[in-house]
Amino acid sequence: MTGRAAIVHDTALESYGFGGEHPFNPLRLRLTLELCEDLGLLEDYPLTPSEPATEGDLTTVHNLTYVRMVQEAGRGAALLSDLRPYGIGTGDNPVFPDMHAASARVVGGVLEAGRLVMRGDAAHAMCISGGLHHALRSEASGFCVYNDAGVAIARLKEEHPGIRIAYVDTDAHHGDGVQWMFFEDPEVLTISIHESGRYLFPGTGGVHEKGSGEGKGYAVNVPLMPFTDDGSFIATFETVVPEALRHFGPDLILSQNGCDAHRLDPLTHLSATTRLYEHVPARVHDLAHELCEGRWVATGGGGYDIWRVVPRAWAALWASVSHQELPEKLPEDWLHRWGPESPVGLPRLMRDDPADYPAGPRVSEISDKNARTAEEVLEKVLPLIR
Amino acid sequence: MLQVKDSMAREVATLSPGDTAGEALALCRDRRIRHLPVLDGGSLVGIVSDRDLRSATPAFGDPDRAAALAEVRVGDVMAREVVTTGPDDPIDAAANTMRERRINCLPVLEGDRLVGIVTSSDVMESLVYLLGAHEPGSRMEVVVPDRPGTLAGVAGLIGELGINIVSVVTGPRQEEDPPTRVAIFRVDTINPSHAASVLEKADYTVLWPPRP
Repeated sequence: MTGRAAIVHDTALESYGFGGEHPFNPLRLRLTLELCEDLGLLEDYPLTPSEPATEGDLTTVHNLTYVRMVQEAGRGAALLSDLRPYGIGTGDNPVFPDMHAASARVVGGVLEAGRLVMRGDAAHAMCISGGLHHALRSEASGFCVYNDAGVAIARLKEEHPGIRIAYVDTDAHHGDGVQWMFFEDPEVLTISIHESGRYLFPGTGGVHEKGSGEGKGYAVNVPLMPFTDDGSFIATFETVVPEALRHFGPDLILSQNGCDAHRLDPLTHLSATTRLYEHVPARVHDLAHELCEGRWVATGGGGYDIWRVVPRAWAALWASVSHQELPEKLPEDWLHRWGPESPVGLPRLMRDDPADYPAGPRVSEISDKNARTAEEVLEKVLPLIR
Repeated sequence: MLQVKDSMAREVATLSPGDTAGEALALCRDRRIRHLPVLDGGSLVGIVSDRDLRSATPAFGDPDRAAALAEVRVGDVMAREVVTTGPDDPIDAAANTMRERRINCLPVLEGDRLVGIVTSSDVMESLVYLLGAHEPGSRMEVVVPDRPGTLAGVAGLIGELGINIVSVVTGPRQEEDPPTRVAIFRVDTINPSHAASVLEKADYTVLWPPRP
């Protein structure tokens, strides 16, 4: 497999964050990029800068009034009571200085990654700042202000009329924002595999949510049981994703690679390890070559164990995007630099040792239930895709 | 969603006592419904279900079936004693009536006028809606000792964190002594674990989200 890979990033993208003790911490980007660099994975790959998304870009999927509210909030010019209906100024999405500019940059990064791939300048492109999949048309939600994938998909569809885009979301949380933006659009297939909404934010993502109108069948949801492990997550992915993508026949695959399904993640209740975060990119990569000449854009997403999980998971993502071998060990330099800063002991190896993650109770009950859910999706939803 | 009028179907297919069983069954099939109120001169005189109609006519394949479908009249088959509800009744009262009388459907009367019909599936749907995810949020389950003020205490701590409570229901926990109740909250945050740890520090038992 060949094809040039691009990584879209600049330090300005690290200004998207909510400060203080907030769980969404842009330090995770710094940790990841420095890990990639120390591993030698960036030697032939200079960072590609990007421009912030314009108002015109943002309003492909967001309401202009909402954009204005974010702008005012970022200038400190709005009353909290006026912002709350837009999901801003809450515990999850507090106001931070210049929040419009920082949020628009994230969107611009993912849009640039999409354009590089659609122009053929890169076969695959990654922007780990992206993946803010909860942002709604007129509302910030779940740490997400603007929906980068939503804007990129809508804009690329305008720039290349008739293209079909598949969105594959393996964040532990349902990719609700992106799903609702294209719920009636048969040219955009959204697939989300996530912890069941009965147990985890945002609460949606049941199998019966399968798109509406012309788009019926083009939203695919696979809710997983709490405490699902690698084996069952991977089996579910394999049952649903290749089949769905082959039915659909995308021209571009955009993957949201949130890594908060890891056992150590403090916000969710799934039990994956780094094995999942090697498997998913490898398979999406294969499918992109099989189905759409390799055109693949990868974003980040959730991931709240920023020391032990995120850097390793997204370094593995980049290794896959750029066709490089993932080294076995974390570099000493990185460990020395960040070890003293980390509140938790840092792993020495890039891959989790399965012995450290023994199977939990009810593991077969959980995987049986997930397998039944995947079968239900296969029978009831995938036949609607044409 | 808390009153019958919020959940009921307003367009009601009805029959007259003189309609045939065949016509009634065709209506059930076309509209995919199982219960039909029977009106005579605008007032409710009975109710008939597809099951009543089937048991009053020969089975499918029986040579006498066609004749019976054309002969048997709704007025001969219908139940004449109809349990009804009103549009302003609480949905839980309607649910309780259905449970007690072992029926699956209640015509809704405003005075003498039929204004809607509510079925057990409508009640289920409103239950799902009340507990459910019509806006983004997380589930929390907290044990609340069965005495005044505990629910207020929990809600107060959640409120102090700036977290909005979208909905709450409470119910008894089975086989607990002394009796306790569990409260299920939907809260508008992606990160309920912070609230959970605050509640645990205040000596509440949090059943979900699980604590590390």
